[in-house]
Amino acid sequence: MKNELGQFALLGGTPEFATELHVGQLYFPEWEQYEAAMRGIIDRKYYTNHGPLIRELEARLEDFFEIGNAVTVTNATIGLYLVCLALGLKRKVLMPSFTFVATAQAAVLAGLDPVFCEVDPYSHQMTPATAEQALESGVSAVCPVNLWGGSADIPPLEDWARSHNLPLFFDSAHGFGVERTEGKLGRFGCAEVFSFHATKIMTATEGGCICTNDDELAERIRNMRSNYGIRRPMPVSLTVNARMSEAQAAIALMSLEGIDGRIANNRMIFDTYRSALDTVPGVRLIHPSNVTRSNYQCIVIEIAEDLFGLSRDLLWSVLRAEGVRARRYFKPGIHRSIPFNTLYPQYVEALPTTDALCGTVLQLPIGALVTTEDAERIGSLICDAHAYADGLLACG
Amino acid sequence: MTLSKLATDDLALFGGPATFSPPKSIGSLANPDPTKLLDYSRIFYDQHRYTNNGPVNRMLEDRLAKWHRAERCVTFANAFWGLSLAIRYLAIPGRSEVITPSLTYRRMGEIIASAGMVPRFCDVDPETLAQTEETTRQWINRDTALVLGAHPTVNCCDAAGLERLSAETGIPLLFDSVESAFETTKGRRVGTFGRAEGFSIHATKLINGFEGGYLVTNDHELADWLKLMRGFGIPEEDEIVCFGMNAKLNEIHAAMAMASMDDLDALVERNRQRYLAYRELLAGIEGISLRLFDEEEQTSFKNILVRLDQKWPLSRDDTLAILQAEGALARPYYSPALHTHKAGFETRSGYLPVAEQISKQFMLLPCGDQMGRRDITVLVELLGFVTAHAVEIGKALNAVNNLEVRTGYDPVAVRRETPLKESHEE
Repeated sequence: MKNELGQFALLGGTPEFATELHVGQLYFPEWEQYEAAMRGIIDRKYYTNHGPLIRELEARLEDFFEIGNAVTVTNATIGLYLVCLALGLKRKVLMPSFTFVATAQAAVLAGLDPVFCEVDPYSHQMTPATAEQALESGVSAVCPVNLWGGSADIPPLEDWARSHNLPLFFDSAHGFGVERTEGKLGRFGCAEVFSFHATKIMTATEGGCICTNDDELAERIRNMRSNYGIRRPMPVSLTVNARMSEAQAAIALMSLEGIDGRIANNRMIFDTYRSALDTVPGVRLIHPSNVTRSNYQCIVIEIAEDLFGLSRDLLWSVLRAEGVRARRYFKPGIHRSIPFNTLYPQYVEALPTTDALCGTVLQLPIGALVTTEDAERIGSLICDAHAYADGLLACG
Repeated sequence: MTLSKLATDDLALFGGPATFSPPKSIGSLANPDPTKLLDYSRIFYDQHRYTNNGPVNRMLEDRLAKWHRAERCVTFANAFWGLSLAIRYLAIPGRSEVITPSLTYRRMGEIIASAGMVPRFCDVDPETLAQTEETTRQWINRDTALVLGAHPTVNCCDAAGLERLSAETGIPLLFDSVESAFETTKGRRVGTFGRAEGFSIHATKLINGFEGGYLVTNDHELADWLKLMRGFGIPEEDEIVCFGMNAKLNEIHAAMAMASMDDLDALVERNRQRYLAYRELLAGIEGISLRLFDEEEQTSFKNILVRLDQKWPLSRDDTLAILQAEGALARPYYSPALHTHKAGFETRSGYLPVAEQISKQFMLLPCGDQMGRRDITVLVELLGFVTAHAVEIGKALNAVNNLEVRTGYDPVAVRRETPLKESHEE
């Protein structure tokens, strides 16, 4: 609690947190579990190339998602790239610009041009209206992003894509364990791609998986991923190295085991932030949209400068000085980032909603290294920043 | 363990018990001391840094750079994406062809295609099995964007000759040096030839890092760009400065590579003993000759490559079928030659007779710590048994082939299903 302006670390006071708090889940198995898993692998002398742990993981993931095929991959970016290739996409892919840059990079890697659309300013998700507005000739597929532990409004998007005869595949990097009324994410569109990066709720340190009920598509992806783990050889345009190792599989299996406990922990932290921030003018905590169960892996707030008294960027500076490494995801928007701003200059000034979000959104710490008490203190810091906004502004 | 084959029927291909169980592969599969893996793991574990250029990655990069006597090293999720990103960066803009030998890693064409370029295959020298200045020069044209040189699995290509060609033509030179990680050539350590050299730490390679790869270079600008490109082009938060992707190496794989490196000198000595055993024992068998390591140079003695000549009584592929059925997962050496393989992407090539011929003559035999002296003895006895019973084996193979023609049943393919699932080859 800051009782006077000079107590803010930005102005020379003592930082609230001696050890910095980060955005990102960073859950990891207990050391004893990790040690046993690594010793097991070295005993088996089977290190990669679709070994026993990857086979078990894929089977367990298929059960978890209740889906026909879960194909593990090196990481989600390479997963999206493989989906683009396996679908045989040509020319352009429609996607929101308000996403992590990897969504667009994967398309470019596959030789495609991204066509950027807006998102809904309230949910931050792509909608049929934002898709329709951006649709142009040459678009061969649509890649909505299921953002922040919520989801896009999928059924209307599916209807819209069907009406334009366009395949739909999802960037669900944030979406592991998220449920909609129709069931878990993983079953929608032609395919969904999940991330198992250390910052996600499901971790393999690095890694990911592609979920699909289309057996033919899954087999094409397996043939493109590696020579190993193929169930039926078939000619494909390219076979790369997109494998996950046995070590990654071991971490992922342990991570999957504890998924419900981690979601519950995230939920408690989310609720703490909600209570702390509920009444702060100009702060809106983003609630996961369109889902019956979130994984709560992202705490995202939007700052309305006129009501809060400080800009998002100034609040960011205040928090950073206090040891809260909040992140301005996504800044800059992809359409304004290198090389997209020069390759596709037509989008630079064309996405005002996305630009506004890129200037107002802030991600707060949550995950293994954050307690509910930390969340309370961060909430309290944000309250104090609002209370001392004029002073901070004058000094900042 | 001794070879227990008395008659042709005893061969696993014809229903007898397999000689090697579990099967022996051509990958090194080095087993580091688990305690070392755990010690290195403790470093990232205590810092809660599991990837994203973590502490063990940085240790590994420093160690590898020094080991190659290079100034910089950049690690990657695997060698495929490391080389792919380096091609993207180094290729002369506006040009589309990357020249690489036809007799090399089976996914080399894919690496080039994944970088948006077109592979142009060149021939190799019949003595060194490697591309040369001349076999490469022949295919340089106005569309040549890069030369991707590749070392063979035993000894090195004429890297200095390729450097001369690069200096003369202005075409940038990148190396796939995966099979020459430990080597010197003409006394110079592999690692600093061309603009950069790429290596693998896949489990089958000299350094076992589960999956992974790295590039070493003396070019700081190149190293800086590669580091950016492997991490989405993001140098600091809120900033994207170039095209990129995710090709980062995670910390567990880095820890495994560090643990493997601790045992490297001892492993190379064990490899040398294996190589000497193979050399001594194979000398007694007509028609098969071991590819010799150049012992004037520093070498890993890792890969056991043999040539089957005209005196060998069976075809190379029949020999492979017999060995594989026995659980000795020998593999054809770079076969088919890449220019003869139908790819799902555009490739370019001319007449490359040497690569085509060599791709039908050589095979790699099991290596690494899985092969004890007795295993090598038994394997060579098996090869001796094959030559001694060649006529009967030929008849039995004919019978099998006739059965295939009559019924469509392919026993070789059926057998291939089982052992290769467990094989370890990148």
